Amino acid sequence: MTSPRSLFLILATTVVWALPARAQQRDSVEALKRLSLDQLMNVEVMSVALRPQRLFETPSAIQVITQDDIRRSGATSLPEALRLASNLQVAQVDARQWAISARGFNSTTANKLLVLIDGRTVYTPLFSGVFWDVQDVLLSDVDRIEVISGPGATLWGANAVNGVINVITKDAKETGGLQVTGGGGNELRGLGSARYGGGLGAHAKYRIYGKAFSRDPTLRPNGQDAPDGWHMGQGGFRLDWDASASNRLSLLGDWYDGRIAQANPGHIGVSGGNLTAKWAHPLSAKSDLAVQAYYDRTHRDIPGTFGEDLDIYDVDVQQRAAVHPRHDVVWGVGYRLINDRVVNTDSLAFLPPHVARQWFTAFAQDEIALASDRLHVTLGTKIEHNDYTGFEIQPSGRVNWTFSPSRTLWAAVSRAVRTPSRIDRELFVPATPSYFLAGGPDFRSENELAYELGYRHQQGALVLALASFYNRYHGLRSLEQVNPPNPTPIVIANGQHGESYGAEATASYRITDDWQVRAGYTELRVHIWPNPGSTDRSRGTAESHTPDRQLSLRSSLRLGTQWSLDGGFRYLSEIANQQLPAYAELDARVGWQPVAALEVSLAGRNLLHAHHAEFGTPAARRGIQRGVYGMAQWHF
Amino acid sequence: MAFLTLVTVLTSALLLVQSPRASEYQVKAVFLFNFAQFVDWRSPPAQDPRAPLLIGILGDDPFGAILDETVRGERLGERPFEIRRLRQLRDIEACNILFISRSENERVEQILAAVQNRPILTVSDGDDFAKRGGMIQFVNDKNRIRLRINVEAAQAANVTISSKLLRVAEIVRTPPR
Repeated sequence: MTSPRSLFLILATTVVWALPARAQQRDSVEALKRLSLDQLMNVEVMSVALRPQRLFETPSAIQVITQDDIRRSGATSLPEALRLASNLQVAQVDARQWAISARGFNSTTANKLLVLIDGRTVYTPLFSGVFWDVQDVLLSDVDRIEVISGPGATLWGANAVNGVINVITKDAKETGGLQVTGGGGNELRGLGSARYGGGLGAHAKYRIYGKAFSRDPTLRPNGQDAPDGWHMGQGGFRLDWDASASNRLSLLGDWYDGRIAQANPGHIGVSGGNLTAKWAHPLSAKSDLAVQAYYDRTHRDIPGTFGEDLDIYDVDVQQRAAVHPRHDVVWGVGYRLINDRVVNTDSLAFLPPHVARQWFTAFAQDEIALASDRLHVTLGTKIEHNDYTGFEIQPSGRVNWTFSPSRTLWAAVSRAVRTPSRIDRELFVPATPSYFLAGGPDFRSENELAYELGYRHQQGALVLALASFYNRYHGLRSLEQVNPPNPTPIVIANGQHGESYGAEATASYRITDDWQVRAGYTELRVHIWPNPGSTDRSRGTAESHTPDRQLSLRSSLRLGTQWSLDGGFRYLSEIANQQLPAYAELDARVGWQPVAALEVSLAGRNLLHAHHAEFGTPAARRGIQRGVYGMAQWHF
Repeated sequence: MAFLTLVTVLTSALLLVQSPRASEYQVKAVFLFNFAQFVDWRSPPAQDPRAPLLIGILGDDPFGAILDETVRGERLGERPFEIRRLRQLRDIEACNILFISRSENERVEQILAAVQNRPILTVSDGDDFAKRGGMIQFVNDKNRIRLRINVEAAQAANVTISSKLLRVAEIVRTPPR
């Protein structure tokens, strides 16, 4: 269907391009030259990124994991790196599965967190969540990971109910030369990667990479190896072309293939690939346009359970414009098409097996500067149309008050929705009647009203941040007993409501140029109740598995020019509704860089115990074992 | 229809890869131009007061025509500005301001060693430029351009940076080796 929206999109972008270009440039240079140094430093430069940097400025609970943090933590996968953000709940379930969420509602099928890798939403419409086993990047090519806890739905859309994770890799300009990495140990049995970066003419740079790893199984409750060892290979490229000063084009792609052991006969097979094109085009010093399109294909075959082939097509257009000295406007439109084909088995079925669904989104946001740039009010809304529930509106209002150069107070009220996924409406267990569990044909969106209050303070080498929140939820997913008190059959509905509240505090202190310490502390409560008339008796135990508190401490020390020593301690309180005990663990890493081109490191993960569990009911949980590995990285 | 949209947007994008207007480097170009007014080179006094003030770009030029456009028709006292794209390291001697492109990131030390103690204001947006002994580093921070200045490096080369410029910058030192 050529909807009015598609036409609008085409029309809007065409009109913007038609604006007279040269005269504008001359004008903007002259205008810039008239500015004082202070003013010049406050001119916003439009970045190549489609959306990310924008969010850094918005008043929200953001933590940034830098390349240096990742390298020095010894993380060997994206989920391990995400442990560095204390505003996330990260739990390793088994050798390949992770439960990752922000502000509660954690599970292996967590559905209230949006995850992007270089602007590409990594997402499965099966449950509106993330298969973490296939989300990989070459960690040394990551520029930073922005982690936002709290709703980001106005700019980012559905799923950004309780947080956004934004993985941003380096521009190809910054990854020149050949880099070879290799290592291994007892849990991470082996990891090898190679990356080469070069130029195509004066203005285009590229890199290509390949990596492979093999991971050891975790432990069953009886102490024997669980059948979940796995290995995977991935390759990809990135091309960045500064076609002219105002046209930057990027092309990114990845391809992967892996095999995972499972209890049923056969292996889980996963493979996929993606291709993203981006175009960043400043229209003037005060306005820029960004266009992004991607294609993402995933294949997953779980013998005995189900198989899936998923294609996602997505286009986004976004413009920023300082339309007035006090008004900074961002608006954009987007379209997504998914084509999902499930191969059902006797044990479960998605019906119909093959669906095509589309999403249309449009958003606008105005950041208004009041009171000599110290007080900012940001108002915005996202309007989204999906095939399940039609239009969804997700507005937000935010206030940012910088009451002294080093102190900022912010507050926000937002509405966000979690739209239905296939699991809510189309999942049937077993595959044929009579069903033990059936999707709810009338399942609507879950919605949230979030109130946030935060404070940031910087005093020299000390940085403090505190974010607190209170969220109300309506229409949370429930498992309704059709013939109570019989426990089955069950139909999925929106029969629960709930609230969550808590606070996230972080502190970082640079004791000397070479020694930095950081602490993160999160308190969190989630309460879920059945609505009047609901026959759900779970009290939310199917929806949220979250510890009440977690503490992390990190120390990063450089010893001379060659040695570095890093340690990370974490404590997580019990997950009550899984009877999972509290645990504390320690990661450590020693790095030695005898020459600029070579770094050798020895890293230990989960050092305090031979094994510990992080997630799952007593029968299902897996023991995560102490791991030690060595790694060497050459840069030619 | 998604494909139609996609194809239209992408083809339009490819057709329109021309018009030079800038963002990040437009601002950086204006900074470079401004630096001339906030820096005092204790250069040889006998210099011709009308000699052009030379801004050199070493490495891949990220500015395109922007920098030329920024300084066109401008003068510092009686000195006009001149932009020169440098091919070799030995060409840097005549510069008053030397912009070192990110493409030279890996040999910054070598370049700075070649500049050493000449009254040349060294500027770059390369990684850790100021800490590595460069004078002024552009840092992208939250979509804004910040300045990081290594005063010691400037002093060592007899380049005096005005307090007006220092006030808006972050001051760093070269870590002791």
